Amino acid sequence: MAFIFYASSIVAVVATLLTITRRNAIHALLYLVVSLLAIAIDFYVMGAPFVAALELIIYAGAIMVLFVFVVMMLNIGEHAAETELDVFRPRAWLGPGLLAAVLLAEVARLVSLQSGAYTGSTEISSKQVAVALFGPYVIGVELASLLLTAGLVGAYHLGRRAVSREEEIRGVDTDESRAVSRGAAVSAGAGRSSHAA
Amino acid sequence: MIASDLVALSPLIVLSSTAVVVMLSIAIRRDHHLAALLAFLGLAAALASLRFAAAASPRRVTGLLLVDGYSLFYSAVLLLSTAAVLLLAFAYMERQQEHREEFYCLMLLAACGALVLVSSCHLVSLFLGIEILSVSLYGLIAYLRFQPLPLEAGMKYLVLAATSSAFLLFGMALLYSETGSMELSSLAKSYMGTPDPALGAVGWAGTILMLTGIGFKLAVAPFHLWTPDVYQGAPLPVTAFVATVSKGSVFALLLRWFHGADSTVSAPVYWAFVTMAIASMLIGNLLALQQENVKRLLAYSSIAHMGYLLVAFLAAGPLGIQAATYYLIAYLVTMLGVFGLMTVLSTGEEEHCELKDYRGLFWQHPVISGLFAAMLLSLAGIPLTAGFLGKFYVIAAAASSSLWLPVFVLIVSSTIGIYYYLRVIVALFSLPAEAGEREEPVRLTVPLEASFSLAALVILLFVFGLYPTPFWALIQTMSASLG
Repeated sequence: MAFIFYASSIVAVVATLLTITRRNAIHALLYLVVSLLAIAIDFYVMGAPFVAALELIIYAGAIMVLFVFVVMMLNIGEHAAETELDVFRPRAWLGPGLLAAVLLAEVARLVSLQSGAYTGSTEISSKQVAVALFGPYVIGVELASLLLTAGLVGAYHLGRRAVSREEEIRGVDTDESRAVSRGAAVSAGAGRSSHAA
Repeated sequence: MIASDLVALSPLIVLSSTAVVVMLSIAIRRDHHLAALLAFLGLAAALASLRFAAAASPRRVTGLLLVDGYSLFYSAVLLLSTAAVLLLAFAYMERQQEHREEFYCLMLLAACGALVLVSSCHLVSLFLGIEILSVSLYGLIAYLRFQPLPLEAGMKYLVLAATSSAFLLFGMALLYSETGSMELSSLAKSYMGTPDPALGAVGWAGTILMLTGIGFKLAVAPFHLWTPDVYQGAPLPVTAFVATVSKGSVFALLLRWFHGADSTVSAPVYWAFVTMAIASMLIGNLLALQQENVKRLLAYSSIAHMGYLLVAFLAAGPLGIQAATYYLIAYLVTMLGVFGLMTVLSTGEEEHCELKDYRGLFWQHPVISGLFAAMLLSLAGIPLTAGFLGKFYVIAAAASSSLWLPVFVLIVSSTIGIYYYLRVIVALFSLPAEAGEREEPVRLTVPLEASFSLAALVILLFVFGLYPTPFWALIQTMSASLG
């Protein structure tokens, strides 16, 4: 089904271009979801249904939900209601909706085909993926876990709340010392200056 | 996975489990001394386990990693460099108003990535190794997260390293689609040899994209733009780590990749490397001339040194491997020494990196200034130091392969380079400013562990410069396992 492959590839490219050109984070996220869905269809058509399912569950599902949560949490304030209303205007959802409709039509076509849906020579089942991952590539899996550890430790350190060392040593957590440390954090942020030569 | 596989991988296993142990020890009790001690013991144990791994080598572990004399040699070099950085970093971290323990965890993980790189023989382990190294470095560069410069440097490194990883990955995908193989040795065959191998446009595009990604990690021109800012912004021990372990491991990978195959590189790849080498040497040395910040100056100098290394890399046969390895190790020792001395000199919260901070330093701290001058002379390639012999071997190897154009540029640009190294040395030895302007000389206490590390580096600097024979023999044995 070469046609379906190219159609969803075009959808993916268009959606990604729109993602990086939107100024509103929510609009960009909607296009990003569409782009990920289109890539999932590409994977499916190429004979990798397992990867397609993972793409849906992990990227379009879990990670996008996290993104949306963070964006909404950052929006708390007086304008929150207005910005949320903005999401429901047609201007915001019409574009992603259209692209998603194209994808939906492709999925409907794939379902109606029943057999011969793959352009790739063979279908790779989830069992084959598992055998490869825990056979010849088992070190790769272990290395990926090291990679995640590094990311986790780094993110934990950089994302931690500001605690000054004296405060921690004494074990006191008074409002005063916290205010001081927060003040330091703010001034450090405000004092940013470019040093590029 | 059988027992001898595990033995062959024991340095990596010891190192990564030490990282986990350090992480767990942080969860139980935060203690800077404990974390540093654990990290150091882990490095020592990993070094010791190289002996057992050597007994099991050469061994191909599951297609992804190849443990042989070459990878063990480079593992030892990188582990020792990491240990030197850790020793220098301890006193520096002690002064910081920040949780200090995660630093060691990230450092160990970064060293794991470097170890994976030097023994990788497959695109999967290559990419994972580079990513482990870069992701640990994001955290390390921005470690002092309430200061603007480290944060900016971390952000720059994050964006640019992620972009270059995308280049690398896309290049891998294209090369794989053309050749159907992810083994470095069989990939190398597809663009080695004269006359030009039959590789389609897709394959060449993939090769170029991969060279772009690798070039970024090595910071060779024209992919060097991140280097000065990241060097300047990162905490001094991390700068030392980026300049040595990070670049050294990627270079070792490149060396194995292209020298593992028997034939010489084909014309397009050859000219790509020649262009990168010449551009790095000229750009690095010319831009370093007017720098007022010593960290930025060293950043440009390291770009130039990567250019020299590429010249040695282009030289064919075992002599090329040996010259490149010797030069790389001389470079590691010297860079660690320079950054180590700067770390020791930076007492208090502020780092002393401006050239004016070093004016008249000799009259206050003669020993440290003398060592600093020796390190800079080695970078410039003055006789009696490791840098001179390194450059000698590089020129010898390149001349024996008739690489006249790169050799000519190397000689011209290293002559230019002497100017800015001497500029720092002149600042060190010039008379201090007027008595009124100068504050009271600060008493400088060099911490024990840092002075141990510095002493070892200085001894190595002169041993490599004066009596390289045993070391050269070791490199020859190592390179035999590669060819």
